[in-house]
Amino acid sequence: MKRAAWYVVTGAVTGFLSLLGLHAVTAAPDAVPAAAGSGEGSGISPVQPAGSTSPSETETAVSGGQGSSRGKGPGSASGPARQAAGAVESYGYGELAVTVTVKGADITSVAVPVLRVNDPPSAQIASYALPQLKAEVLAVNSARIHAISGATYTSDAYAASLQSALDKLHLL
Amino acid sequence: MMAQPVSAPGTHLPARAEPPRPRPAAAKAALLLAGAGLGAIIALGMADQPFSQLSAPGGELTFLGNLTALAGTYLALIMVLLISRIPAVERVLGQDGLVRWHKWLAPWPISLLIAHALLTTSGYAQAARTGAWHEAWAMLTQFPDVLLAAVGLGVMCAVGLVSIRAIRQRLSRETWWMIHLCMYLALALSFAHVIALGPSFVGHPLTRVVWSAFWAATAGLVLSYRFGLPVVRSLRHRLVVTEVRQEGPGVVSVICTGRALDALPVAGGQFFCWRFLARGLWWQAHPYSLSALPRPPYLRLTVKAVGGHSASLARLRPGTKVLVEGPYGAFTRQSRHHQRVLLVAGGIGVTALRSLLEDLPPSARPAVVLRVSRPEDLIFRDEIRDLAARRRGTVHEITGPRDSAVLDGPALSRLVPDLASRDVFVCGPQGFVASIVSVAKSLGVPDEAIHHEAFAL
Repeated sequence: MKRAAWYVVTGAVTGFLSLLGLHAVTAAPDAVPAAAGSGEGSGISPVQPAGSTSPSETETAVSGGQGSSRGKGPGSASGPARQAAGAVESYGYGELAVTVTVKGADITSVAVPVLRVNDPPSAQIASYALPQLKAEVLAVNSARIHAISGATYTSDAYAASLQSALDKLHLL
Repeated sequence: MMAQPVSAPGTHLPARAEPPRPRPAAAKAALLLAGAGLGAIIALGMADQPFSQLSAPGGELTFLGNLTALAGTYLALIMVLLISRIPAVERVLGQDGLVRWHKWLAPWPISLLIAHALLTTSGYAQAARTGAWHEAWAMLTQFPDVLLAAVGLGVMCAVGLVSIRAIRQRLSRETWWMIHLCMYLALALSFAHVIALGPSFVGHPLTRVVWSAFWAATAGLVLSYRFGLPVVRSLRHRLVVTEVRQEGPGVVSVICTGRALDALPVAGGQFFCWRFLARGLWWQAHPYSLSALPRPPYLRLTVKAVGGHSASLARLRPGTKVLVEGPYGAFTRQSRHHQRVLLVAGGIGVTALRSLLEDLPPSARPAVVLRVSRPEDLIFRDEIRDLAARRRGTVHEITGPRDSAVLDGPALSRLVPDLASRDVFVCGPQGFVASIVSVAKSLGVPDEAIHHEAFAL
């Protein structure tokens, strides 16, 4: 068949654009805390800390100054320590849940009592991402953290679980 | 009883199943769909890819590894579909054309999948901050289904390797074929690791469903048309060798009888893959054209002894059972764009043209050119003259060694002045066919009016 190549190329361009279009329509970019529950089927959740889309961001950008104020009132580290466990967040490659310890209005510690990963690559990713996520949470004192690049799903799940724990304590 | 392929005037021919019309739209739709799938799968690899992830350790390599995996696997499935002999597509594009595309496409999926293995291993190694060999070992021993996929990739490489001409020439056709068939195994082994590990699939149930459906559809088509239909046909028609007849030096006709041949939808010019159930021949299926339309209960194929298989056909014993795959080929009267035709036969290529000639209506006014080296190679001379005369056509016989009486532009247009308004059907050895095709093009015959079948392994 002559001009067979044209049919293939036309089909390819159409298929390419259609899928990208379909993808853009069905996927809603989420901010990290609201990326929430599923991790499955919600298509993309591009790494989005509140307000920032800088492609050059890499590791923990801790130096605040981006996005809204990590609010809380005049914090005091005094007061009884309270703990709450966050919901188990399933993120496709596994699931995790965090437990947060709070003193007054400050997060003092985050632990990950529940961590089940499906495969070794995810275990490797989790092993380097979780400590960084913890450090970032402590630094900004909320669940609105930057995701770790290369560990998007893990970060989303971590933040979502942390947020649900904070909600239980009626903290921001 | 001898088969009498040439009918006398007034003879009532038993009614035959009319072969289905080729519909170019079906083939065009298939090409569009194949292209769309390729575009979509590349888009799939690029969507879901936040740019921040690329700058993570191993991010770029893993991204490319994913992209090459998707494209390579998709093309591998297209390769399978190309030789799955789907009737609606085969009728338009022809089995020989599809096999040509299959050969042309072959290096791509293999190269992409090798690249995928290397890129993904390196990318994971960087992310895990270990050496590549260490990471490869970890992947093979710990990651789900990766070992199976690695075996599959190895088989795929072996298949690719033995198809390189230099190596293939040293192998017997049976050995090469057995290795080649292992490609199905290679694909099956690789399926699981994609679903378990592919970032486009993990956490994306819809993508998994569509991907699995594509695999299932491919498997279904192969099982139905590549394997199932030929078995059903063979069982239905129960072909048996009746007679082997000498037609000329080194050329024999094999007459077969079968049941219900009036229901076999053959068009003149088509071929079957023949599997003769005799010692030494039963594991091979070779393509040979019919040299006459079926005359129930008889089928005739005519073969020149050029290789081991074709030479052994002369020694076939009557009563030998035959399994067939087909009919295949777009070398038929239904592919014509014009009414009138020019048939050019080189050597043994006359067999396909003989059955095509029989199938042509009188309005085709066929011009027939027979090009042979020696006069004794002019097989079916009388049959062809008779059939052409009934259709008010002309026959030109050109005899002589290859370098004399060359059929070039001037020679051909002298023989057939109205060449540009005819469909040209040319059949014979590869070099001959290529030369006539280019001569026809240079004389103004449009591409779609040139039909060729080259006899090659």
